[in-house]
Amino acid sequence: MIVLGVMVAGACGAVLRYSVDHLVQRRAGSDFPLGTLVINVTGSLVLGFLTGSALHHGVSATWLTVAGTGLIGAYTTFSTFTFDTVRLAEAERWGLSLLNVAVSIALGLGAAALGLALGSAT
Amino acid sequence: MSQGGPAHHLRTSEPALRIGAIASGGALGTLARYGADRALVPDATGFPWATFTVNVVGSLLVGLLVTLVVERWSPTRYVRPFAVIGFCGGFTTFSTLAVEVAQRSQHGRVSLAVGYLVASLVAGVVAAALGMALARGRILPVPRDRPVPDPDDLGPLSPGPGSGGARP
Repeated sequence: MIVLGVMVAGACGAVLRYSVDHLVQRRAGSDFPLGTLVINVTGSLVLGFLTGSALHHGVSATWLTVAGTGLIGAYTTFSTFTFDTVRLAEAERWGLSLLNVAVSIALGLGAAALGLALGSAT
Repeated sequence: MSQGGPAHHLRTSEPALRIGAIASGGALGTLARYGADRALVPDATGFPWATFTVNVVGSLLVGLLVTLVVERWSPTRYVRPFAVIGFCGGFTTFSTLAVEVAQRSQHGRVSLAVGYLVASLVAGVVAAALGMALARGRILPVPRDRPVPDPDDLGPLSPGPGSGGARP
């Protein structure tokens, strides 16, 4: 049963990622993968919050698995991030490539830590 | 998708089918990641091997598949939504990596957290580049005069010269 929940949540996460990426990237209109950045930062914040809540407020493990591992895990993506980084470097857009790594890591970790703190507190 | 690069083959008139391909790929990718999680049960303060492995393997697959789709195969409609955006996107995860790094730092395991982060970045980028090189036949040679077959190819509706061929 939990497997089914994880799969359905994963399907929703992937479609949500596609929609958000489409929306952001269309507005950004640049070579910088802003859509993936927005997705990964918001997902890290939410997963941090869910994990913090689960640790400190007894949210059920099943709920954390379906919402965290399933939905948010599928919503965020590492492979698009690494691929974009290599693609930019290959096009000799070194600045954008490094910026993608630095900003994704800095904001992603910051968002995860903030989410954990918020989830633990509230 | 932002991973689109210059060549886009997704000008399809069946958005519902595309969404269906993304959803089913996402379900399967997420299931595979959940399986890896269960198989390599993560120790809350140890090295997160499951996420690390999934992210590196997924990066290799995306490098390989996107390059095949864009540069070597004749236009395909559903490989990218299903396998790349759906499966690989759902299989790999950035948020889990971020939370795992933050949690290990907070538990005082700062060097493990930094090591895990750097290892994931380096191995992920190298894997994506390796996948691209594999697709271009730079590691295991792909015969130049024989284009890589297109999995969606339904028969002799074959493309004209130049498609699927070798890069300059």
